[in-house]
Amino acid sequence: MTLQWFKTWEGLLLIILAITLTSNVILAPEFLTLQNQINLFQLSIEKIIVAVAMTFIIINGEIDLSVASIMGLSACTFGVLVNNGFGGGSAILLCLLLGFVAGGINALLITRLGIPSLVVTLAMLIAFRGFARVLLEDQGLKDFPLWFNALGRDGFLGPIPLAIVVFIVLLVAGAVVLHHTGFGRQVYVIGTNSDVARYSGVNIAFVKTVLFVASGIVSALAGLFYAGRLASVRGDAAFGFELDIITMVLLGGISIFGGKGSILGVLLSILIVLNLRNGMALVNITGHVQTGVIGILLIASVLGPNLYEHFRKTKLT
Amino acid sequence: MFAAFRKFHPQTLRLIALSLVLLLTVLFFTSQIDNYFSPRMLSRISSSAAVILPIAIGQAIVVMTRNIDLSVGSLVGVVAYVCGDFLASHQSLHPVLFVLLCLFVGGCCGAINGLLVSYGRVPSIIVTLGTLALYRTFLVEYSDARTITTDSLPKWLVDFPSSTLFSIGPFEVRTIVALALLAALVAWLTLSRLRVARQFYAVGSNPDAAVFAGINSARVVFWAFVISGMLAGLSGFIFLAKFGNITVVAGMGFELKSVAAVVVGGVNIFGGSGSIVGVLLGTVLVDTIDNSLIRWAVVSEFWREALLGILIMLAVIADTLMARSFGRLKGGNT
Amino acid sequence: MNTTSPLLELRNISKSFAMTAALTDMSFSVEPGEIHAIVGENGAGKSTLIKIMTGVYQPDAGTILCNGNPVTIPNTQVAQRLGIGAIFQEPMVFPDLDVAENIFISHRNKGLLMDWKRLHQDADALVKQLGITLDVRRPASGLTLAEQQTVEIARALSLDVKILIMDEPTASLSAHEVDKLLAIARTLKSRGVAALYISHRLDEIFTIADRVTVLRDGKHISTKPVTDVTRDGMVRDMVGRNIDAFATKKKANTVGERVLSVKDLGRAGAFSGLTFDVHAGEILCFAGLVGARRTDVGLALFGVAPATEGTIEIDGKPVKVKTPREGMAHRIAYVSEDRRKLGLALPMSIFSNITLPSLNSFLGRLGLIDGVKERTAAEGYRQQLGIRSPDVLIEAGKLSGGNQQKVMLAKWLETKPKILIFDEPTRGVDVGAKAEVHNIIRQLAKDGVAIIVISSDLPEVLALADRTLVMREGRQMGIFAIQNSTQENIMALATGQSEMKAA
Repeated sequence: MTLQWFKTWEGLLLIILAITLTSNVILAPEFLTLQNQINLFQLSIEKIIVAVAMTFIIINGEIDLSVASIMGLSACTFGVLVNNGFGGGSAILLCLLLGFVAGGINALLITRLGIPSLVVTLAMLIAFRGFARVLLEDQGLKDFPLWFNALGRDGFLGPIPLAIVVFIVLLVAGAVVLHHTGFGRQVYVIGTNSDVARYSGVNIAFVKTVLFVASGIVSALAGLFYAGRLASVRGDAAFGFELDIITMVLLGGISIFGGKGSILGVLLSILIVLNLRNGMALVNITGHVQTGVIGILLIASVLGPNLYEHFRKTKLT
Repeated sequence: MFAAFRKFHPQTLRLIALSLVLLLTVLFFTSQIDNYFSPRMLSRISSSAAVILPIAIGQAIVVMTRNIDLSVGSLVGVVAYVCGDFLASHQSLHPVLFVLLCLFVGGCCGAINGLLVSYGRVPSIIVTLGTLALYRTFLVEYSDARTITTDSLPKWLVDFPSSTLFSIGPFEVRTIVALALLAALVAWLTLSRLRVARQFYAVGSNPDAAVFAGINSARVVFWAFVISGMLAGLSGFIFLAKFGNITVVAGMGFELKSVAAVVVGGVNIFGGSGSIVGVLLGTVLVDTIDNSLIRWAVVSEFWREALLGILIMLAVIADTLMARSFGRLKGGNT
Repeated sequence: MNTTSPLLELRNISKSFAMTAALTDMSFSVEPGEIHAIVGENGAGKSTLIKIMTGVYQPDAGTILCNGNPVTIPNTQVAQRLGIGAIFQEPMVFPDLDVAENIFISHRNKGLLMDWKRLHQDADALVKQLGITLDVRRPASGLTLAEQQTVEIARALSLDVKILIMDEPTASLSAHEVDKLLAIARTLKSRGVAALYISHRLDEIFTIADRVTVLRDGKHISTKPVTDVTRDGMVRDMVGRNIDAFATKKKANTVGERVLSVKDLGRAGAFSGLTFDVHAGEILCFAGLVGARRTDVGLALFGVAPATEGTIEIDGKPVKVKTPREGMAHRIAYVSEDRRKLGLALPMSIFSNITLPSLNSFLGRLGLIDGVKERTAAEGYRQQLGIRSPDVLIEAGKLSGGNQQKVMLAKWLETKPKILIFDEPTRGVDVGAKAEVHNIIRQLAKDGVAIIVISSDLPEVLALADRTLVMREGRQMGIFAIQNSTQENIMALATGQSEMKAA
């Protein structure tokens, strides 16, 4: 790791992370305990799980705005199913199937009809959320199986809850697939230049379909974790989560225009966002301001590189 | 048969189809709901559409230039709350000045969006997704969990929504409805008559050719966002007048309704075309379905949102298929 | 102001890009109301000349005079103000605006409001002046290419152009549409507008031009009244260069089995009636001018834009190629002419570009990419093909044109193709790299690959081809065996000057 490395986006993120961590430790010495770190992850675990799938989609040059709605729909469906006599296991399977179908609809409209993913998933953001509200109307559902709630909250591997284990597995698997398989390479090439990919025999429709279906399934899974963690569900479950998820991915150095970025960057950005939220909580900055800060981060993470590039070019000429 | 249709501009065809759908929707609900076709229902639908119409027009102009503005919902909330708060402490402010204040506040927020998109070269979806959160956060902080109530507002504003401009038989046209229609009329005249306004179409229709024709695309896009912000200011004013009680959730989700109205109204999501008449019809259709479902006993009113999403998707699919069969030429890239 | 001075005069203009000179000491002038044809092979410097006149490029040396006064043309707007307008092969129209508005789009000082009635009247009058019928109220979407060109000519006219540059305006037009365009050019002439007419089609030039300027290798060869020119003389002027860079191939390769056999191949709207064979070890060149649709044949064989009629046989078995994947499955490779847009993922490393189409052969344990194997293979190509870069890890976009071309070659060689299609393999490549690429192609043929080379560069065709297939406007004009492949024969067929009686 040379000095040059710190000039890359990932290097910059590492420095920011170090600053965030240091200030958090100074503000609250108990910050570094394992339990606090687990809590930190646990508070946003559903978002960061979906962020892994979103990373692939944005590198591919697309976007999926419907993830939070699929999370909500999955959580609501689970609630309705278990309250209508379904077993927890079969309900989970049905919810994952639902995620598969939802992602499949997205993929079909994007690859077959050639409608931009931005438009398709914006419409689906509304529609899937609508279905969730149809299911639950204005009531909340509880009475999940006890083991389900326990899975959402209690330690699974020692003190680490299942959701965090799943996140780590997904992250590692994601890194391997993205950086070390032919499929991952194809994801990058399509995002860099889809014509080159097509002229090189890459099956673009297939890759995109896999990504959107995977995004649907992962979102549905994340929705289940959300339901388990809160031990209840309402029609607006996970509402607006897409903003945080996309922000984490873009801040991680994934270019909104596709083709650039790494899983490592996303991991660093996730750690920054989590610790920043924690830090803000420590100095009594409330949830809404945190959302605002995330919004600023989102814009800055695209504006920053743009301005940097601009000044670099003007300096050259 | 099909040859006869070809004579029409595809856009005209679209408006005819949309009018038919609207007519069928009204007929359907008339057959389903007792006493549906009444002055009360008309004024309910029209005054709810009046809130959405201005932001739908602004959205249409932004979409024409191949962009999107997702911050309008938060903007409506900010304007309704902040300007309402200001009015509560400055009771003597002249109504016209107050409306101008609303437009100004909205326009400034729109200018922030425009600057970031045009000159920061950040995609509009990112910018407005960010400011959607940012403006709402600002509102929450500013409000400090207070609510603006009707009591604190001057009488002219409280009476404004129930005032009637004129009546046709039993059907009354409310002033707020007339105000929204006036905005639509101005937008229609501007877009079709004002020379500089034609650039909104040109930039979205073929960005490369626009550069070649000496059009400053960045400036055009910037103004599209400013106008969208100003119209969100107008919506904020109508919202304030209509409801009187304003909380921090005011206008939440309006961005989706405006996108729905625009897409259903036949504004091309790939930019370059769209008419204000279409946006008007789209807004009315969306709000008709919205308001009618509440009163329709057969399905729950919670179907509103789901139907909205499906409606947008169907409109986009119809557009895509239509564009394919017309084999229209499209230059440049999105 | 001198009344006898030409409308526009270029004196001793030179322009070079990096190391290659595009124009050298070029002088020529345009008189009012003349139709001035400019001819020359691809790469003769025509497009550079146009870009200098329209303000896209700045000349390195020389002066431009407008009505006898020296001027500089920093951008298109200034060119417009000087009365220089241009229409290109791909028209720039706004599909959503109606014809009239398209014509007057650049008139922004005409008052605050749109006067639609006047706009339509003015547009109508303008269109009528051009002697054509076109509803100015209809939207521009759905106009044919010829109609769109008319709109652009009217637009130029509305800006009061003195010189209208037409760059291959007839390249994609039908015969009937060409007649109409020529009529428009005459109308312009009668209004005192000078037209600079760039075309490969000699018939058109003899029908319409007053004077003809021939360019070759960026140099001015001749400017003569059309009455003093013969077809043979013009073709000789165009191709008569010293071909010392590459020797003409004398003897055909010894060829093996017939690998590819194509009968009556066609794609609606692009080309039709292509019938040819390619053998193992043979190089078949596709010659022709821009717009001859040779690339479309390559794309049909590879599966990017599948053929809609005719048959393709590989090793005697009929096959259908609907996607590039199917093309690759039949061991066809297509090296694109546009390496920046279609050939290479420029921001990605050299090695990942090279291994992209054949990733499956680089999988190691657990189906993961074997990075070492990948880099070793790429490194092998770097040395074998002489790709000049320190290693294979740097971005492909950082290489020079010739080296990018070699990366693209390596990428397709790694798929071990049986049929290799090169589309303009040396476009934008310097002379040294060009010779290297040619040697690689010859070596591949020697190794038994069946090769198709699409090239607009005649010396290249002569240096490589065992046989030469000439195309014109989507049709196969004939196939020359090596002994008949001369510049004159090929150009005569490609320009439609003569029809080959028997293949």
